[in-house]
Amino acid sequence: MNDTYFLSLLVFSPLLGIILLAFVPKTQEQTIKLLGFLATLPSLILALFAFGQYLRGYDLSRLAEKHAWIHFGKFSFLSESTFTVDYELNVDGFALVMIVLTALLATLAAVASIHIKKEWKGYFMLFLLLEIGMLGVFAAGNLVLFFIFFEVTLVPMFFLIGKWGYFEKEKAAYSYLLYNGIGSAILLLVILILFARTGTSNIAVLQELLRDPQGAVQMIAPISNDLRYGLFIALLVAFGVKLPIVPLHSWMLRVHVQAPPSIVMLHSGVLLKIGAFGLIRFGMGLFPEQFQRFATLIAILGVVNLLYGAFLAFVQEDFKMVLAYSSISHMGIVLIGLGALNEAGIQGAIFQVVSHGLISALLFLLVSIMYERVHTTMLDHLGGLAKAMPLVSGFLLAGAMASLGLPGMSGFISEFTAFLGLFKAKPAIAAVGTLGIIMTAVYLLRAVLNMTYGTAKRGVIEAADIRTVELVPVLILLGCIIFIGVYPHILAQPLEATIQTMMNGLGG
Amino acid sequence: MMENAWIIPLFPLVSFFILLVVGKRMKEASAYVGMAATLLSFIGAVAVFAERLNEPTYQVKQVWFTIGNMNITAGFEINPLNALMLVVVSLVSFLVHMYSKGYMHGDERFSVFYAYLGLFTFAMLGLVISANLLQTYIFWELVGLGSFLLIGFYFYKEEAKAAAKKAFIMTRIGDVGLLIGMILLFWQTGSFQYDDIFAAVKAGSVSETMITLSAILIFIGAVGKSGQFPLHTWLPDAMEGPTPVSALIHAATMVAAGVYLVASLFPLYEASEPAMLTVAVVGGFTAIFAASIGLVQTDIKRVLAYSTVSQLGYMMLALGSGGYVAGIFHLTTHAFFKALLFLAAGSVIHAVHTQDIEKMGGLWRKMPLTAPLFLIGTLAISGVPLLSGFFSKDEILVAAWTNGHVILFWLAVVAAFFTAFYMFRLFFLVFGGDMRGDAHDVHESPTVMTMPMIVLGVLAVVAGYINTPWFGTFLGDFLTGETNVHEEAPAWIMVVATAVSLAGIFLAWLMYGKKSLSRDWLSSRAPLTYNVLFNKYYVDEFYTITVGYATKVLSLFLQYVDRFIVEGLAGLIASLTKAIGTLGSRWQNGQVQMYGAAMFIGLTILVVILAFTGGYL
Repeated sequence: MNDTYFLSLLVFSPLLGIILLAFVPKTQEQTIKLLGFLATLPSLILALFAFGQYLRGYDLSRLAEKHAWIHFGKFSFLSESTFTVDYELNVDGFALVMIVLTALLATLAAVASIHIKKEWKGYFMLFLLLEIGMLGVFAAGNLVLFFIFFEVTLVPMFFLIGKWGYFEKEKAAYSYLLYNGIGSAILLLVILILFARTGTSNIAVLQELLRDPQGAVQMIAPISNDLRYGLFIALLVAFGVKLPIVPLHSWMLRVHVQAPPSIVMLHSGVLLKIGAFGLIRFGMGLFPEQFQRFATLIAILGVVNLLYGAFLAFVQEDFKMVLAYSSISHMGIVLIGLGALNEAGIQGAIFQVVSHGLISALLFLLVSIMYERVHTTMLDHLGGLAKAMPLVSGFLLAGAMASLGLPGMSGFISEFTAFLGLFKAKPAIAAVGTLGIIMTAVYLLRAVLNMTYGTAKRGVIEAADIRTVELVPVLILLGCIIFIGVYPHILAQPLEATIQTMMNGLGG
Repeated sequence: MMENAWIIPLFPLVSFFILLVVGKRMKEASAYVGMAATLLSFIGAVAVFAERLNEPTYQVKQVWFTIGNMNITAGFEINPLNALMLVVVSLVSFLVHMYSKGYMHGDERFSVFYAYLGLFTFAMLGLVISANLLQTYIFWELVGLGSFLLIGFYFYKEEAKAAAKKAFIMTRIGDVGLLIGMILLFWQTGSFQYDDIFAAVKAGSVSETMITLSAILIFIGAVGKSGQFPLHTWLPDAMEGPTPVSALIHAATMVAAGVYLVASLFPLYEASEPAMLTVAVVGGFTAIFAASIGLVQTDIKRVLAYSTVSQLGYMMLALGSGGYVAGIFHLTTHAFFKALLFLAAGSVIHAVHTQDIEKMGGLWRKMPLTAPLFLIGTLAISGVPLLSGFFSKDEILVAAWTNGHVILFWLAVVAAFFTAFYMFRLFFLVFGGDMRGDAHDVHESPTVMTMPMIVLGVLAVVAGYINTPWFGTFLGDFLTGETNVHEEAPAWIMVVATAVSLAGIFLAWLMYGKKSLSRDWLSSRAPLTYNVLFNKYYVDEFYTITVGYATKVLSLFLQYVDRFIVEGLAGLIASLTKAIGTLGSRWQNGQVQMYGAAMFIGLTILVVILAFTGGYL
């Protein structure tokens, strides 16, 4: 509305890094790595600044940006803004939290990228492009822009997996593209229908139009109740691929295992969360009534995710697979919270989004550090790591503890709050879900103790412990996890308004 | 001091952080950091206790975070039970810190050990001043973490790894019960605060079914932590940890947390007859069940571990029988004499480098301090008159009898007989006779280890006098806040208790001291019974072939589902895309007729849709 460019600056600042990188000769490894890391900093600083201001009471709507962008024909008989797509960015508490998470993980993943072995120039350019996409998704003010940013994440991810990944990287990359392509196609369909029927793609306006029975009058064409259900289910599938909801998950297993760990930090830490973000923002935000009708199903899907992932994680031979199934399992908590349809549940779901982002980033950072030294993540080949690498082992154990929901760490707060919500709404489903709490401990301890405890295997004994440059990001992540666990108010406060809006939408 | 009681748990936490960061450089000086921290905690605890003697309960709460318009609070409370627990925990912790300086001497990870001890002590002290259930749960899990880390302290040993994992998972099974019970209570009463819950229960705003359900669910948590049947199997395995840890965590403090939890929620349990009965039956059964296993074990620490399980069963029996004071009284005396026994056992292990009692013997003369101290502990736990265990065990028997649990009463009496027998069996095998193993240059432990044992030895003798039928029920008065007229208990109970205890000692003496009765009396006459006892009723094996295999089979089944059905689905989608592509490209053949046909078909479909829906879905 006015002439602030804060959000644009925040979202597009990595572009500067891309441009600068273009002028660096591709053999200058150190310069490229340093530049890649520095290019993530402006976004982080701006995001933290905005977050700090918001906590002090700054009104986020003042950050909104709007510039005329695309016009479709002239509809002088309708209002001025019909069938236009503006360039609009805005954030609320939830989006801002996600932006801070993204910017933070991007910086830390850039540090973890020191373990990348080849073609650093291309890698960092794609990396920064990926960051722009992720930041943009959370700041987008309308569906078209959201979709564009959403797609911007897709392309660099494809190449990052396919080129810098492990043994079966190509297969993983295509699997990623196929699933997410279908998800995107469905999403695009939903966006197009909404745009055609209402003449707008602005999220806030859509929210009002769809909710308000009077709003139907202002629409270009009415949206019947059946169509609403159709659109809602389409959204559920589109974001269900991303989250992922069982059985749409097989692509993400491959990505977890085949992509370079620094990219998995972002994939598991942020990209999966776009699924949750979309489900909350659009599924629940635009179609509250439909969401309510599907709440029980969503809660059941959550419990299925939780248990399915947990049981499968229990029999994996590769630590990365354990973590992949663990991600599926933990995303179940998000669905459990949303299915509860009350404040506690929604708060728990959003907490889990943030908390799991931090925890899985920490674990994959440690995988990266470990792989660098012992060149395997197979549980059978590892053992007794604690002898040679006491610090890495200690951090792995801390990460596992965070992941299994040890109080004092962020995982507990989110798990507890989500279950608190579901026990009020649907105690029977919740009771089944608590089995997952036990199973999480079982599979995580099995995996981590197999690697770090016991007798040291050959090839492991001489491995060096963590270096300072690796230590700092680990400590930052662990610090955040513990800080949220001890002082959850830091998350509860910025989310308060968003959750209140959600609850109003649900009529609660 | 009461308003500053929150500082008490923080000293050991600070020690934890200091040792984590600079411990490696401090080497064995780390012990002083740990000892100083716990000593400060102990001084604080005594000050709080002294203040609470004459002042009312002190409570503080603050908003921790909010969910919608619900406030989740955090705070602390100094009531008589909490004040007592503070003193017991900080005292035992300090003594164990001191003892460990000698016991862990020369260990590569000396400072790590002290760091973990600090973490545990912090959590345990935090647990006993919690004013609400959520906070209790938080510290409850953190003491579990401390226990896990310390059981697995010798991480390179496969047994230690397995034991640590088992302890964490078994207790977590119980914790889920606690979690559910706590959440149910929250939605019933709108609060996690103990006093809010009690007020709601008292006002009758919670249905009886709900009270019973949540009380039993919470009790499952206590069963896990306190090693009660059927979740007891982790506790004997936990003996893989260093012996000072067994004394502190797996005898005196953490395992008693289950008893403490039930005691803290006593008004809730009192409101439900079935819940009380459950507690009493589980406790009574565990008491005799574990004692019977203890009869035939040959590992010094495992005998003591089963003894702990059995004694905790006694405490549960007391609480379930309405003997609030009796349960806490036994918790206190048990903390002292069992910590003493473990530390003395540690001193023995330190000297002979084995835990197998068949390889010990004749240590009475070689360990002039450890031996009599172990004897004091043995006498106390056996319930020999005038020592601490005698008074507290008598209280429990009285509670069970007056509450009408006749069967449980007699079970407890038999368990008392077993206790006296296996403890003196242990004593005679370790200290009597001649050395059977190959450790010959045995000598007494250093002063830093014997000093804490002497303190505990004194307490094991005198701690009983805080609550006796003869000199006054100080503890009871303090805990319940009123002057108790000691219940007119049938005097014969005391006589019976003394008789079975002496009978057990006598039998042990006949078999292992004087050896006039054959040692393999049971194994030769009833080999089946002996084997069942020796193999701990095959509970572990039972779990392995039921829950263990079921989990594995289910997981493998899901693995196949994932590999074939889910992947198959993915393959299907891929081939579908491909098929549509092939179909589409076949139509692009350059013939105008084909394009015309496609256009016509497409138009027809659109017209049909338009006709049926009127244009809009």
